[in-house]
Amino acid sequence: MRNVSAIMQRELLALFCSPIGYIVIAGFLLITGVTVRWMDTFAPGKPASLREVFFWTPWVLTMIVPAISMRAISEEYRAGTIETLMTAPLSDVQMVLGKYFATLIFYIVMLAPTLLYLVLMMVYGNPDVGAALSAYLGLLMVGILFTAFGLFASSLTSNQVVAWILGSIPLLLFACVAYFVVRMVEGTWRQVLQQINVIGRFDDFSRGLVTTDGLVFFLAAAILFLFLTVKVVESRRWR
Amino acid sequence: MIEVRDLSKHYGSHRAVDRISFDVAAGEIVGFLGPNGAGKTTTLRILTCFLPATSGSVRIAGHDVVTASMEVRQVVGYLPESNPLYPEMRVREYLRFRGKLHGLDRADREAAIARVTERCWLASVIDRPIAHLSKGFRQRVGLADALLHNPRVLILDEPTVGLDPAQIRETRSLIRELAELHTVVLSSHILPEVEVTCQRLVIIHEGRLVASGTPAELRQQISHESNLIVEVQAPSDAVANALRGLAGVTDVRVETIEGWARASVAAQSDVREQVYGLATGQGWKLRELRREVATLEDFFVKIVAGTRTAGQPADART
Repeated sequence: MRNVSAIMQRELLALFCSPIGYIVIAGFLLITGVTVRWMDTFAPGKPASLREVFFWTPWVLTMIVPAISMRAISEEYRAGTIETLMTAPLSDVQMVLGKYFATLIFYIVMLAPTLLYLVLMMVYGNPDVGAALSAYLGLLMVGILFTAFGLFASSLTSNQVVAWILGSIPLLLFACVAYFVVRMVEGTWRQVLQQINVIGRFDDFSRGLVTTDGLVFFLAAAILFLFLTVKVVESRRWR
Repeated sequence: MIEVRDLSKHYGSHRAVDRISFDVAAGEIVGFLGPNGAGKTTTLRILTCFLPATSGSVRIAGHDVVTASMEVRQVVGYLPESNPLYPEMRVREYLRFRGKLHGLDRADREAAIARVTERCWLASVIDRPIAHLSKGFRQRVGLADALLHNPRVLILDEPTVGLDPAQIRETRSLIRELAELHTVVLSSHILPEVEVTCQRLVIIHEGRLVASGTPAELRQQISHESNLIVEVQAPSDAVANALRGLAGVTDVRVETIEGWARASVAAQSDVREQVYGLATGQGWKLRELRREVATLEDFFVKIVAGTRTAGQPADART
């Protein structure tokens, strides 16, 4: 546990010391702010709800989350620091978990300022706070999954930009394909796509629908990608 | 302390390390010597559990590197060749981080940091970001990291590479001091480097172990190949014939410089007295009689060059 927290602390320090971290946060908040303005969320007469904003957020996150996680493991490969890490009494699982939790904490820090919109809405209107909190739980779940995938992408290469592309493009395609194609196909394919429809599942949360099914999906998928990340890190030594 | 048995590592069809066996006793300083690409780093990486071996076994302090990897990592302090560090961290932060990974609690950690800071002369830079440090200081930070958990075995891969002469001297004396408390294995491709620091040398070339022993033992192996320089005032043919007649002389080359015959005599034993006797007996004027003892450097170059041309293990020939 001490090893996990040591890695996590170092990783957070690296994230908050690098300009990339702040650029990503600024970019995310800018896009969210523009969306709020564009959707006229605060226009008079509109329902006091952030649903329209929340609808777009996961799409943005497909690009943003891999940008947070891209350096996590690839930079260790590039700088060679993987060698000092892997020769310290530290297991591969501990290293991956430490980096995962750090990335997740950074994600939560990035998300936190958007609560301001909710607060403003509560000041000037009467929003459904329950649904909003459920939507935030949904965003947390999306983060849990996307971060694990981004970390997996980062473990595949020693180049940060490649790690970002490997992380964001599949997430974006996956989100689009599952979300749009699910309405066009029938039968088994539809059932499969319904299961893996990340944005659709997030939609349930943003409507205030928290299901065990949804929670299990996000957590299980995250565990799968973390497991794959550990295996990739391990396999690097066996070459 | 370290037992290496029939260690091999193949990268595809390339054999980086080929059936190497050697032992390191507790408290020894062993120099791991070989030209670039000889397989030094690969071997050390296997010793430190970073790479798995293709075959063979390594035990450090009684623990196998594969089956008891964590125990091995706890007793080993490792300075990798490239000395990778996190540039965004301050020296103290970095050492704290490494201390945590080695399972030191807060009090032990701070004590250990104080100890290595003093040991590696880091006090002046302890609160500076690693990115701002010179190469020499970075090397010391790497060394401090390797020493932090007071390991029984220190494995240093090219610890002085890239340092200036003053820093090299400092590092050498530091390593010698460390050997009082730790078993040290260090690698280098520069012979004088390990000759002055190490008690024992292990020379590898193209993945094979070609020679090992103390510098004195290795010198013994080559002492019979000593070379004599003789300069006398006499006809060169006569000098050559007379010298060839001496017992133990294997080869004589003579050149004439301004009336003096300068002979280079390869002999299997020390023939200086006989040469002197010869010169006085013949009434030749003798103005130089010098024995050139082959240095380990010559030996190293010969081994390396020999295996390269012959393509067979050089331990057969030594």
